[in-house]
Amino acid sequence: VMEGRCAVETWAEFGFSGTPCAPWLQVAFGTDVLLFAGTDEVFVFSSHERKLTVTSIVSSYECVFSYVTIHLCRAGSPPADAHRGPAELKLTSEFLAFAEEGVLSLLLVGSVLLTLSQRRSSWTLTLYGSSDYEVLRSVSLASGVVHNETGTRRRPPLTCVRSSAATPPPSASSSVSDGCLCLEPILFKRLFGIDAALAKSPVVLCGLPDGRLCFLPLRPPGSRLAVLHSLEQPVVFVGASGVTDNGRGHARCLVAVGEQGKVVLIQAEKGGAEGGADRTGFTEGCVPGPVACGCVDEKRLYYSTGSDLLVLDLPEESPERDGPSVEKSRVTHAALQSPSSLNVCRVLALAPPTRSTAGEVELLGLSARGQLQRITLPVDRGDAGWPNAPSTPGGRGVRDLLSAIGDVCERAAALKAAVKSKNQILRRLNQVLNICFLLTADTNTGERDKPIGCRATASWSRLLEEDSLTLTCVLDNSSPYVLERGWTLSVAASPLSGPPAAGGQSPSAHFSFPFHGLHPGETLEVSLPLAAAGQSSLPVTASCSLSFSLAGLLGEEAAALPGLQPGCVSLPLNTLTVDWLHALRVTSPAHGKTPPQSGNTSDAIQAFLRSRRMGCDVGLSLSVVHGRDPSGHPVKLTAKEVKDRTLNPRRFEEETTPTAVEVQVESSSVAAVCGLHHAVLTRIQVPEVTESGALSFSMVSREAR
Amino acid sequence: MHQPLSLFHKWIQENNELVNKWKVGSQQLSVDHYLHMYFISLLSFPQCPCPAGIAPIADHTQLELTVVYNAGVCLIAQSQFLEAESLLTKATERILQMTGDGPFASDPPVFWKTALKSVGNTALNRCVMHLLCLQWAIWLATCKLQTIQELQLLSVFETLSSGVWDEEGSAPRTKSSDIALPVMDQRRLIELLQICTFIAQGAERLSEGRSSEALSGLQSASSLPAPRTLISYTHLLSGSCLAHMSRPQMALQCYRMALETDSQCVCALYQSMLIYRQLGNTQAEIQALRLLHSTLMLPAAKEPSPAGVHLLPSSLLLQSQSLSSLLSVPSALSVLHSLALKCVLHERVAEGVEYYLDLLAALHSEDQHGVHAAGPPLPKLPELYLQAGAALLMARRPADCMALCDEVITTTLELLPGKVVLKEPEECEAETRALCEEVEDGVGMLLWVGAAYLLQGHCHTHLRDWKQAVTTYTRCFNLLVKVRFKKRGDADMMSMQGTDLCILQRLKGLSLAGRGISFTQTDQLREALRDLQLSIQAFPGGTGAGLWCGEVLWRLGRKQEAVACWERTWSFTPHFSELSLAVYLQEPQSGPLLDSTELRRRIEELSPI
Repeated sequence: VMEGRCAVETWAEFGFSGTPCAPWLQVAFGTDVLLFAGTDEVFVFSSHERKLTVTSIVSSYECVFSYVTIHLCRAGSPPADAHRGPAELKLTSEFLAFAEEGVLSLLLVGSVLLTLSQRRSSWTLTLYGSSDYEVLRSVSLASGVVHNETGTRRRPPLTCVRSSAATPPPSASSSVSDGCLCLEPILFKRLFGIDAALAKSPVVLCGLPDGRLCFLPLRPPGSRLAVLHSLEQPVVFVGASGVTDNGRGHARCLVAVGEQGKVVLIQAEKGGAEGGADRTGFTEGCVPGPVACGCVDEKRLYYSTGSDLLVLDLPEESPERDGPSVEKSRVTHAALQSPSSLNVCRVLALAPPTRSTAGEVELLGLSARGQLQRITLPVDRGDAGWPNAPSTPGGRGVRDLLSAIGDVCERAAALKAAVKSKNQILRRLNQVLNICFLLTADTNTGERDKPIGCRATASWSRLLEEDSLTLTCVLDNSSPYVLERGWTLSVAASPLSGPPAAGGQSPSAHFSFPFHGLHPGETLEVSLPLAAAGQSSLPVTASCSLSFSLAGLLGEEAAALPGLQPGCVSLPLNTLTVDWLHALRVTSPAHGKTPPQSGNTSDAIQAFLRSRRMGCDVGLSLSVVHGRDPSGHPVKLTAKEVKDRTLNPRRFEEETTPTAVEVQVESSSVAAVCGLHHAVLTRIQVPEVTESGALSFSMVSREAR
Repeated sequence: MHQPLSLFHKWIQENNELVNKWKVGSQQLSVDHYLHMYFISLLSFPQCPCPAGIAPIADHTQLELTVVYNAGVCLIAQSQFLEAESLLTKATERILQMTGDGPFASDPPVFWKTALKSVGNTALNRCVMHLLCLQWAIWLATCKLQTIQELQLLSVFETLSSGVWDEEGSAPRTKSSDIALPVMDQRRLIELLQICTFIAQGAERLSEGRSSEALSGLQSASSLPAPRTLISYTHLLSGSCLAHMSRPQMALQCYRMALETDSQCVCALYQSMLIYRQLGNTQAEIQALRLLHSTLMLPAAKEPSPAGVHLLPSSLLLQSQSLSSLLSVPSALSVLHSLALKCVLHERVAEGVEYYLDLLAALHSEDQHGVHAAGPPLPKLPELYLQAGAALLMARRPADCMALCDEVITTTLELLPGKVVLKEPEECEAETRALCEEVEDGVGMLLWVGAAYLLQGHCHTHLRDWKQAVTTYTRCFNLLVKVRFKKRGDADMMSMQGTDLCILQRLKGLSLAGRGISFTQTDQLREALRDLQLSIQAFPGGTGAGLWCGEVLWRLGRKQEAVACWERTWSFTPHFSELSLAVYLQEPQSGPLLDSTELRRRIEELSPI
């Protein structure tokens, strides 16, 4: 529809795919493009030579930001490396200036390096001196609710703003002052206060994922982090537009764009003639989202939804000097509602636009497939008028009628479908409620005869040359109801006792198995890895539960709705314990009768334990199990019957001769001895007491020879 | 084949290795190690009634409790107080149940009371006492001084430290591999807890107004063995008690002792400064401010602490609100500002100007040194600029003063609202607060610009550029008349002292007086008289306006009126001192002056007739 399409030229391919965090582009030193894709590599593309340098970073994700800047700071001129140096430049840990956890974004302002990080429940802006990386200051803001639907890790926009009245300090290099947006003084003063203006301070603007737009003046010292505006959706982009040509070329408008398409324009408004108070105007509008990235030039906002690149004309008109401001905001609103498409898809990151000598606007974009693209917009698009020019009144009448008829048909069909699906949902809800009542009623009477329950066995298996302990859970549906689609079997495996992880909670692994329907009498078998050899911290409790997501009832469309809080019904089934005996790998048979069976550990142990209980009369006095503990240490379990009256004579004085069984656990590992001790104890405790027998333990930890 | 004690020894070995490694510094001390060890020990010695038991062996129990102690210290060091508390009570409960006692109350103070009673004088006593120390540390860190007092921990451990602990030290022990090492020496811990408790209690009592009670505790604490920082705190707080009891000289003595004990104790300097201010000893106050500023600008020196103490720093144990408010010191910048202002107001202008220039330089630098949130915030920058400008003018540097005022004017002028309504304060409260603040902000800005014009007018007067002076004073006046009063009450100077209205009237009075004086210099006596009379009307009591008004009248030949005017001016007693006004709102000292003796001579010449 547009006269003249965009010219897209692919400059380079990086060949990355789906990283967990949003990539970003930065033009540095005029001709070089820095590209960060969330991996441990930074690409430097020289647009002069059309050549690519890969900078590898040997570190974790958090440190990447600091490395990039260090590279820029220390090496001073990466272009030199890009031209003559190798295609790949390794940055080693000696480049590390400081390590900080949870860094989301980074900015260099003059001689100050800022990082934005998220720590527990607050956003923290930390200021470092860029020469010695000493922490100058740290300011925090309690974190709000983060609305993140896409799940990608986004770099919160962090930009620097100066008043055009304040000339940048001579010490700052040109590239640094390039990175600062220059605002018209009156707007700057209105937004950031007289103190910041008098101190000629740069102000750091920060768009937080919780939707707040915050600012921090770097001077005077001790300024606080304050909230400028709230977009109520993650801030994707902050920029300045409305550059006037007179004088120094400062921007008259601050633009912030949210993830779901909210656009906020911040301008200084003159409140008309006498008496009207001058104020700062916050104009809010909405464009169809989601917005993946954006950039602005003097008059327009360019943004990508991922499926299309759109351009939005920002109101060029300088703020109204007179006349009611109501009309003005209406005008702005209308302009905001009609972005036009540039027909370029899958752009994930944009660099600020430049204007070629021919007057064409050039954008630099990064596509989802990892292509660095130069997008050249058609010339003088603005003068050519809008693509959808108004047609004649008569033609419009017929077209309107036809489209209205089409609308009615569509709506009727949609309503029918809605009624049908609602019935379906009610039927399924009935089933769910039946099961809920069934399971909740049973918890009151006792756990034994639950019609839906879980049983489990632990076994060792060899996977990828590594032994691992696998728990096989069987979900048994002996109820009269069908477990339909939407149910999920969840198993939480957590060590019964063990060192708590940082933060005080014990580490537990959660496994969920959604299934598509389990009819009465059917069983579902799932396996889950408990631990690899040597890494286990036994005993482990596995808590099984059935959960049903209410969002699942509504279907995928509804579940994808923004802001929907998915409710969930969770019904506990039963809790199983896997202890050291379960995890013991038996290498030799119990009292030499059964053939060695590697997979059937529990049987061997059961036999061993039972033999002792029955064996009192038989007179068999010794049974031995050899095995290995999860870490591979050899273990020997010996059960011996002793008739020893001296054993604890105080308690059993008047009773008949007690039968004592001595169980000896031998291993070179302390942990194994303790663990097995615990496991054996839990099993024998109840029967032994009833038989009024005595049990004695000796634990032997032997050095491995 | 095997020794039955090998398991026991293995634990000791593991524990001691951890402790030694940490002491050497090769390993970060991790609470996880200890918790892991403790859990393993739980598995190995299951709780009674275990079937047929091995009776709990005392050595094992002691080992287990040492492990718990070490884990507890680590948890407290990481501020995980809740976890530490539950670990301590659970472990103690377990041990006591093994000896056959229980059940125990879940409320910690009651729990420990019964625990101590049931332990009695057994071998376990010492171990349990060590755990109680940790509980004490938790109570101290979470400001539960009431509980500490209730259990009389201070006296309990005081008797202990003189008795049992020495015994332990002197008694020959079995070889060291048999004893599990503690991660922090228990005696050091008790010493630390004792002095910190004294300090926290002192601060609490002081804030409750029980100064003499606080004083006795603090003075007894000052002789305890403790790091110097803590000893200096006891002196400092004693000083504050004495200051509250109106004994400033003794308080100063205490502050001096605090400083002698720990030269980094800036709070003592600050408190001494406040005392000097209260006593009206300006020179000493300025001296103290100067010292305070230079101390605050020093990089913080690190005092080497005895081994083990830095695991639980005293700052962790002293977190009470009342103590931190007693110890708070304003930022280096606000100290510098007070210093500058004090110098300017007390005839040390040249010095004051230097301090003001230092202050402005610091505000323009990105150096964030010496900035922290405590204390009152600095005045807004325009205010500081105007003060500095006034100081510069006093130091006869009109060009610099004009430059500063220019900055204020160019920055603020375009933000000024077209019309400003000044409301009475009480009326303001009824309005919505946000709106009120916005309006006030407008008035504030307008007053800044007005004051800047006024100062510039004074500068022109100083340079004897009468024409420019008249223009500038006129600008000032024209700006000020934009402000309208919502409610024009009777202009009672007493009630409006310090309010925007007072500043506005003062500015009007001074600008009109300045213009009038300038007119007298160009012999425009009629205009001069009008302005000077208006000035007196706007702000009664302006000395310059009154005297010059008389002078003009005299020159116009209205000598009786002139005499009356002078007499009135001299006899006028101001409702408030000039010092309560901002420094830039004071009568200019640099303009053309009238000699009072000369005027009196004229009156005397006139009256005999």
